[in-house]
Amino acid sequence: MELVELEKPVIKGHNLIQLPYGLLGFETVKNYLLITNPQEEPFQWLQMMEGPKKAFLVVSPFLVQPHYAPDIAQEDMDFLELESAADAIVLNICTVRPGEPATINLKGPLIVNRHTYIAKQCIPENASQLSTRHPIPVS
Amino acid sequence: MLILSRKPGESIVIDGRITVKIIRLEGDMVKLGIEAPREVPVHRQEVYDEIQANNREALTDPLSKVPKLPPSSNPMSNQRLGTSESGHLQMKSASIGHSKNGLNGK
Repeated sequence: MELVELEKPVIKGHNLIQLPYGLLGFETVKNYLLITNPQEEPFQWLQMMEGPKKAFLVVSPFLVQPHYAPDIAQEDMDFLELESAADAIVLNICTVRPGEPATINLKGPLIVNRHTYIAKQCIPENASQLSTRHPIPVS
Repeated sequence: MLILSRKPGESIVIDGRITVKIIRLEGDMVKLGIEAPREVPVHRQEVYDEIQANNREALTDPLSKVPKLPPSSNPMSNQRLGTSESGHLQMKSASIGHSKNGLNGK
């Protein structure tokens, strides 16, 4: 696999995010681009680099639910080499449905190591209290 | 489906590297202990199914229209992702403030 300097954008405005386990249901797709379009912030796109040019809309969950507190298992912290939460970026997948409020999945956050850009879709230990379809307030 | 009978304390081994042990019975609950290599994710079926279904539904064309957060929930006018003061990533033993400066390609 081609090595890239992870601290720098691969393409201007884009970051390569590696998900060694893939996303649940998309386990074979391990490389994504995180695409930032200024007019769409704070939302970003997590676009598959393999297979169809499809993408997930992601956003910091703390902007939607300020009290969000996923309890990340120690083995996930170890896998991602996170010593503290300050090493992590949290992004959650949003679903936009025509004619319905957009929702955010609080049950399966993507935890990204901000230094290595390696990520995992973690299932928090308090997942039973978290919704996969939490409504996103819109203006 | 292979069906095996096991007693508490007994195990099965899968593929020489995954061990599932019956820890104990509690009423209608069975406690299982699972040992698997780190590259083998283990999930509760219903949670896995729910998140998988949500991911499949969320996958879209990147040109889709993006929602706009109301200003009150978007304190990001001059900051990037993930700077919510009260948002935090909880850990088993400590709770640490969600740090500043999100991942973005700038």
